[in-house]
Amino acid sequence: MLFSGLTFLYCFLPAVLAAYFLAPKHWKNAVLLVSSLIFYAWGEPRYVLLMVLTILGFYFCGIAISRGKTLRVRQFWLWVSLALGLGALGIFKYADFFIGSLNAVTALPLPLLRLTLPIGISFYTFQCISYTVDVYRQRALPQKNLITFGAYVCLFPQLIAGPIVRYTDVARELESRTHSWEDFALGLRRFLFGLGKKVLLANQFGELTEAFRNSGEKSVLFVWLYALAYALQIYFDFSGYSDMAIGLGRILGFRFPENFNYPYLSSSVTEFWRRWHMTLGGWFRDYVYIPLGGNRVSKLRWVFNILVVWMLTGLWHGASWNFVVWGLLFALLLLLEKMVPGLKRLPRGAAQLYVLLVVVLSFVVFNAQSLQQAGQDLAGMLGLGGLPGTTVEALYALRSNAVLLVVGMVGATPWPKQWAQKIGERVPLLEALAMGALLLLCTAYLVDGSFNPFLYFRF
Amino acid sequence: MSKQKQRIFGAVAVAGLWLVLAAWLWFGPRQDISQAERRKLEQFPAATVQTLLDGRFMTKFETFTQDQFPLRDGFRQLKAGFSYGVLRKLDNNGIYLADGSAGKLEYPLNSNSVSSAVEKFQKIYDRYLKDGGGKIVFSVVPDKSYYLASGNGYPAMDYEAMFSAFRALPWAQYVELTDLLTGESYYKTDTHWRQETLLPVAERIGEALGVQVEDSYSPAALERPFYGVYYGQAALPLEPDTIWLLESDTLSGCTVTNYETGEHSSVYDRTKLDSRDLYDVFLSGPAAVLTVENPAAGNHRELIVFRDSFGSSLVPLLLPGYSKVTLLDIRYLPTDLLPQMVEFGDQDVLFLYSTLVLNQSAMLK
Repeated sequence: MLFSGLTFLYCFLPAVLAAYFLAPKHWKNAVLLVSSLIFYAWGEPRYVLLMVLTILGFYFCGIAISRGKTLRVRQFWLWVSLALGLGALGIFKYADFFIGSLNAVTALPLPLLRLTLPIGISFYTFQCISYTVDVYRQRALPQKNLITFGAYVCLFPQLIAGPIVRYTDVARELESRTHSWEDFALGLRRFLFGLGKKVLLANQFGELTEAFRNSGEKSVLFVWLYALAYALQIYFDFSGYSDMAIGLGRILGFRFPENFNYPYLSSSVTEFWRRWHMTLGGWFRDYVYIPLGGNRVSKLRWVFNILVVWMLTGLWHGASWNFVVWGLLFALLLLLEKMVPGLKRLPRGAAQLYVLLVVVLSFVVFNAQSLQQAGQDLAGMLGLGGLPGTTVEALYALRSNAVLLVVGMVGATPWPKQWAQKIGERVPLLEALAMGALLLLCTAYLVDGSFNPFLYFRF
Repeated sequence: MSKQKQRIFGAVAVAGLWLVLAAWLWFGPRQDISQAERRKLEQFPAATVQTLLDGRFMTKFETFTQDQFPLRDGFRQLKAGFSYGVLRKLDNNGIYLADGSAGKLEYPLNSNSVSSAVEKFQKIYDRYLKDGGGKIVFSVVPDKSYYLASGNGYPAMDYEAMFSAFRALPWAQYVELTDLLTGESYYKTDTHWRQETLLPVAERIGEALGVQVEDSYSPAALERPFYGVYYGQAALPLEPDTIWLLESDTLSGCTVTNYETGEHSSVYDRTKLDSRDLYDVFLSGPAAVLTVENPAAGNHRELIVFRDSFGSSLVPLLLPGYSKVTLLDIRYLPTDLLPQMVEFGDQDVLFLYSTLVLNQSAMLK
């Protein structure tokens, strides 16, 4: 089920919120658990069993770790939980990638598993791993109530596309949380803001990227348009989803961590990754990079650590070589920024331009179906693919989407939020009118349209 | 009232609006069809263990909520208005407005589709027409974008390449139509051409077929306004068209027979005045095989027309020249079955297809 679908907005959500707020306090987590399983089953009926097994497995591992009397026993149950999570991830997400790569290298005819990827498996697996690792590190107490733990793992606002909420982020709220009209108002506003980003912007940019992919008449201008549109699509898509998740969480009494902070304003790649998918970056930092030794090791080992973390970051996004290359590209850029101090002395505008260029190019690699396609697209952007400078179709796409592109570029800055806040502070009722208009407009697009994918569902 | 309370009050009002729409969706009346989009609307799907497990129930339910959403047409108009008026998009769902008329972006030329159509027609000729004694004429009907697109900054397919492919058929005389039509020759809200503008087209095709098609026509307007197919797709407030019929004594005396149903009707079928598509009044709308018999013809000449829906409004104007016309629509009829319905011999043959069909010729069976 999509947040930006009429079924969710006008059937599921009102029913769940009614049940949730009518339920007595000690039943609220049960309402969340059941509704979250229905939410998940709507898109993946057959994988609900996998979800339930994951909940049970990590629940028992968490308790076993906390009850382990020796370090070895505790380590054993931690490894069991890691094997459980990473094993499922490996089988469902990466098995065919490794088998295919092995076949390509060795010419072996190993058959592919061809399993459907369970929606959101990367998100909930990482959340579960953070739980058992934090219990092992004694940063979190084990959750003894299975329903509460289940509600944490499959909490529908952030179940399938993040942000990655660690157990420690919401442990207290899972036990006891408060609800207020103020939180409801702020949560609703945040949700609608995210819905607008997704429906009014990301989907429209998505149509432009689709038009490029389906076009038989590529041109240099069209590839650049595509690259820009995709960079905006993925930002509004993912940050819109995060806004919706954070808003829903707030309505339900949770405070989820922020996931985006205007990444396209960054003046270094390092800064970009502090602003883009912040919960993923934080997860890799705390559960991979630092355990590997972080930067408190020899220079060679540090470089190795960086490469490992970013290769894994790439792989997390998808089981394909272009994701590996995409991750390693950022590793190289981060190393470059750390090793070449001159880069830090670039004027802010030039530095921002450099980051934008790098990020736009990187997303071309990210969105390619293969390394070959990535190479073709990049060559096209540089005018090396034998493509004409422009075509009638590219010019039409530019003219038809010019306002949208401007709106998107302005929308990726803090200005709209600042303007909205100023207006909202002066005339709060105007804010309500804007929210109502946003709801109606998004509904109009959803009633009319069928183009509504979520990019991060595949991760 | 404090600003915080105003904010809460505003949020509650928005939530109230939300709930009203949700309740309307749940408990409101169900619609069977969308007049604007001319299609059946999804009804509440049946839930079985199988459809729940394989996800079909969910997929249909999503369509159900989209189709049955309250004020659906109003919301579609809101979206179209925002898209055109605020985002300044040049088309909505592939439909654009130019010179007061709605057109469809049909771009680019699908060369494979054209080649496939050429092959299909070649096979028909080889199997059924090669040994016939009649004249064979081929004509391509340009879609509205031929006249509207380029001049208004919209991409247009390479029409000349398409026409050339059919001009090159060695066994047919190609009849050029582009100079006889303009953007005004088409309904503003629909894909089709207006019959009252087609007399020069009929005369030129008749000339190529070697028959006199002149007749004394009196135009008659249908009372019901015509909301064409683009009206619904564009979801913009367009003025409806009026359908004019060119009536004559000859046409009044003709009998149309639907091969599949065996039903008889008139050239202008007024029982279709309540149809979702008012254009169905021409020869009763889509049909695989139709025959039209003209007792007033002064000869025994027969014509076979391989056609799409554009033929429905043109063929009546060719009737004065023939005692019998057979219309074949191979979008609904596999060509292998043609001998079961038509005895090919000395009939004249007209191939009349629009660029819209030829650019998506996979629909030809």
